[in-house]
Amino acid sequence: MVGIVIVSHSGKIAGGIKDLIEQLTQGRVRVEVAAGAVDGSLGTDATAITAAIQRADTGEGVAVLMDLGSAVLSAETALDLLPLEARKRALLCDAPLVEGAVAAGVEASLGSDLAAVRQAAEMSRSLTKLGG
Amino acid sequence: MPTELRLVVKSELGLHARPAAAFVQAAARFSARVEVHNLTTGKGPASARSLLALLSLGVRQGHEVRLVAEGEQESEAVLALAELLGGKDAELEKGLDQFQGAGA
Repeated sequence: MVGIVIVSHSGKIAGGIKDLIEQLTQGRVRVEVAAGAVDGSLGTDATAITAAIQRADTGEGVAVLMDLGSAVLSAETALDLLPLEARKRALLCDAPLVEGAVAAGVEASLGSDLAAVRQAAEMSRSLTKLGG
Repeated sequence: MPTELRLVVKSELGLHARPAAAFVQAAARFSARVEVHNLTTGKGPASARSLLALLSLGVRQGHEVRLVAEGEQESEAVLALAELLGGKDAELEKGLDQFQGAGA
C-alpha cells in the first residue's frame, strides 16, 4: 500500500491530519509526519522529511503532502537526500494539505498505485466547498 | 444495461468526509463502475471511488441522488451504496431483478 507523508511547519497540523486520515481509513494506511524545525520551533527539516519518507515506504511508494513555502523546498531537498531506489518511489503532491492528504489517504486505502494516489490528491485543487 | 437507482438521502450527514470515505471504500469492493449524480443540485456524475469527486457533489440529507452501476455485480454494488445513504426505501427504476421479484 502507498504510504503518506505529511510535511508541515507545525506538528499539531501534521498530527491532526494524520489522525483524520487514520480515522477515515481505519488505520489501514501508513501515515508519517515530518513537522517542525530541528529545534522544535515552527519550520521544516529536510532530513526529518527524508526519514519520514523512508518510514512510510513499504515498497509501493510514498505520496508527500506539504503545507506552505519552505515546506515545499524542504520536501524537494528531502527527495534529493533519498537513496536512488527510494527516490523513484516518492512523489510530491501539488495540492492543498488537508484536502489533498485526506484524498490521498483514502485512495491509498483502496490499494491504488502511487500515480493514482497523487492524482486523487491533486484533484483537490479544484474542489469547491460552498456549492459554487 | 447498467443498473440504476434513484433515492432520497436519509443519512443526516449526507455525503461528507467520513460517510464519503466509507462510501468510497464500499464502492472499491466491487469491480462494477459506479457513478453518482446529485439530482437535487444537478451535479455529477462523480465516480463512487473518488472521495473528492463525491464531496464536490455536495450531497446533503434530503437530496435526491442517482446511482448508476455498470459491470460485474452492479446491482449488489448499487444496493450496498444505497444502504450507506440510508436509502432503504429506495425506489428501484430498472434492472434489479431480484428486487422486482421480491417486491411483487
